[in-house]
Order: sequence, then C-alpha cells, then structure tokens
Amino acid sequence: MPGSLENLIEALRCLPSVGPKSAQRMAYYLLQRERPGAQRLVDALTAALSRIRHCQRCNTFTEDECCERCSSAKRDPSLLCVVEMPVDLNMMEQTHAFNGLYYVLMGRLSPLDGIGPKELKLERLLERACDGAVKEVIMATNFTNEGEATAHYLSDLLHTRGIKVSRMARGLPVGGELEFTDAGTIAQAFYERRDY
Amino acid sequence: MSGRQRVDGQTAFILHSYAYSETSLIIDVFSRDFGRLPLLARGARRPRSAMRGVLQAFQPLELAWFGAGEVRTLARAEWLGGMPMLGGTALLLGYYLNELLMKLLPREDAHAALFNAYATTLQSLAQSRNGSVSATTHLRQFEKALLRELGYGMVLEREAVTGEAVLPDRLYHYLIERGPVLTAANHEVAGDQIQGQTIRGKTLLDLARDDYADPRTLSESKLLMRMLINHYLAGQALQSRRVFLELQEL
Repeated sequence: MPGSLENLIEALRCLPSVGPKSAQRMAYYLLQRERPGAQRLVDALTAALSRIRHCQRCNTFTEDECCERCSSAKRDPSLLCVVEMPVDLNMMEQTHAFNGLYYVLMGRLSPLDGIGPKELKLERLLERACDGAVKEVIMATNFTNEGEATAHYLSDLLHTRGIKVSRMARGLPVGGELEFTDAGTIAQAFYERRDY
Repeated sequence: MSGRQRVDGQTAFILHSYAYSETSLIIDVFSRDFGRLPLLARGARRPRSAMRGVLQAFQPLELAWFGAGEVRTLARAEWLGGMPMLGGTALLLGYYLNELLMKLLPREDAHAALFNAYATTLQSLAQSRNGSVSATTHLRQFEKALLRELGYGMVLEREAVTGEAVLPDRLYHYLIERGPVLTAANHEVAGDQIQGQTIRGKTLLDLARDDYADPRTLSESKLLMRMLINHYLAGQALQSRRVFLELQEL
C-alpha cells in the first residue's frame, strides 16, 4: 500500500468510533468516488482549524474573540447557565425559556477517565462567574453521576464566592406517564419530591 | 454454538462505562457470582433506549447476558432500586471504590463477600453526609475487605516477628506483607515524634476492631491503608484521588 494512503487511513482513525476497517473504507471512497468532496473536506478542516476558537466569555466555539450571544445586549447578564457541551446549549436555546448567558464546560468531571478540574479549566468558569454582573448560576449539567459530581463541586466553589447557585429540576418528563417511565427516574423523582 | 453461556438474574453494579461505536456502550460490571467483567450494551446510547436511565453506576441492577469470549452481550438490565443516587463527596468516594476494584480485582474472579461489602459501603455512603466519620469508617472497612479478598489480609493484633500480642501504648512499623514490628528505638508513645510509617499499637488494634472514634486512629489508619494500597497498585496512579485533591485546592 502506498505510504500516503496508509497515512490517510491512519489519520482517519482519530475520529470517534472509526476503527481500521471503517477508516480504510472511507479512504478508498474519498480517493475513488469523491475527490471533490475530499477537497472540500480539506478546505473546511483547514479553515475551521485556523478560525475556530473558544469564546473568551462562554468557552463555546466561535470565530470571534467573543461570540455573538455573549456580546448581545438583549441577553440578561445576571443569569449564567452552565452546560456540558455546545449541543446542550442548543437544546436550552430551543426552550425559549432562558434569556441569560451561558458557560460551556466542554466536558464534565470524570475521575475514572482522568478528567479533573485542571483538564476542564474550572478556574476560567470561576473567573467568569465572579465578573460582578452574574447574580445566579444555573447548573444544567447532565443528570449522570459525572454531571452531578460536576454540579456539586462547582456549586460548592461558587457558594464560597458568595454567588447564588440553582440546579435544573429532575423528574418525570412533560406529558410523562408513570406506567411508561423507567424505574430509576421515578425513584429519583420520588426521593426529590417537593411541597405542593 | 458450544461454549455459549447465558447468565440470568445476576445482581451487579456498573463500575464504569465507555462509549462503543455509534450507539453502544461497554460497561465494566461487578457481579455477585461472576466477579468483574465487561459487557457490551447494544444500542444503549440511542436517545430512546430503555436502558439509558438504568445503566448507571452506584445502583444495584439485575443483569442478564450471553455469549462467549471476552466481552459478552448484555441481554437485559433491571433496576433493583432501594439506593438513593450518591451526591457530593460521597460520589467522589464512590469513584474511589470503583477505581480500586477496577485496578486491583482481576477479571472473572467471583468475590461474593467483597460484593456484599461493596454494596453495604455504597448504601452507607448514600446515607452519610459529606465526609463524615461514618463514611471514613466504611471506606476503611471496605479497603480491609478488599485486601483480605485479594489474599493480602492484614495482620493487626500480633507482632510479625515474635508473634506477641500488639500492645496499645507501643510504637510499631508496618512491614508490607508481614505485619507490625516494634520500633527498636522507641518503646514508648512519644507524642509528636511519630513520623513516616510509625503506628501506635492502639491504632492497629482499633483498626482490627473497626473502631475509629479516636481521631489519631483515623489519621494513622488512613496513612497505613494508603501505603498498603499504593504497594498493591504497583505504580498505577489513582485518578480519583488526584481529582479529589485538585478539587480541594480550588
């Protein structure tokens, strides 16, 4: 096999869930049937690599120093919502329920995978939350063990800095019926039941 | 299809899970009768998968699996319940337990007694509040149970060389895989002079009885267990310990 083909296959394997077989299939496909597509891929990758960076304020991907949302005057700077990934931010935006600003962690605390506060650069979030304008930080990390650990430690750190912290509520989905809900969700909704 | 096995109705905990292919999950499982083993949970990461909410660490589950080879396929997972989700410090301590099991317990080695100790420890962590004495007590008990089950049981009440009873007011050195020996120079408790791996006899006896009311027992037994566990880890670093320390620094 030519060296450059071998390199291409090896390079494609850096993608998540691409093994040697898939990488080989992709490489052959690009070279044989989709050369213009391959060129577009090269251009897009080069452009993205040189232009995309993390927003100074919310840490999400942007082409500017500070993303459009963070510089918008229409958003409420006293509310800061912490999410794990940009997709979570998109979901929050779809709700039209929140008009504050965001901070995207780009991950979660995961001790068993070796992801701690240094890897997540938590001190950047602490700095951001202590800018004087933020009155409340809303923890919207996932309801997995890792998401919970992240929310817990962040809220401890923010409390000691005198900032109000809230956590998204968890329980049955809207329109949810007990009959069709998994036992874990019902159990947790029961443990966290509230006055009514 | 010989060699294919089906296991049903097995009580187990998930220690850790890894994303596998587009929609699946590999779970590292600690089961009562089959020990620690990896299972492939097909489609568990699909948005509407019924397993999504069930396959959580620190929760007792009833699992069924089949197949031969190293990674078997998960067939069914049921939520047994009865354990609140861990939160706060208890959650980090839970990760520590899981990491110890993943790094020290060989695969497919049944340890029912250790399994029960793990379940009891999780239950008490779920009920204890942030780093309380009772949580520490349960951690020490679990570490002792783990070493015992792995065949590294600790000698605490007898001197390693002479076989004489350990005396509460003497100072000892703990020799790995042997036990306590009297420190040659120091025959009396010298208060602040304790350094390194010198341990009071009282600490050893308290540790044997799981009595951690004495704060010095608490701190000395923690150091002793850490030394032993580090020895058996043979150079593998504990990520959960590092993350815990880094979080305290912030």
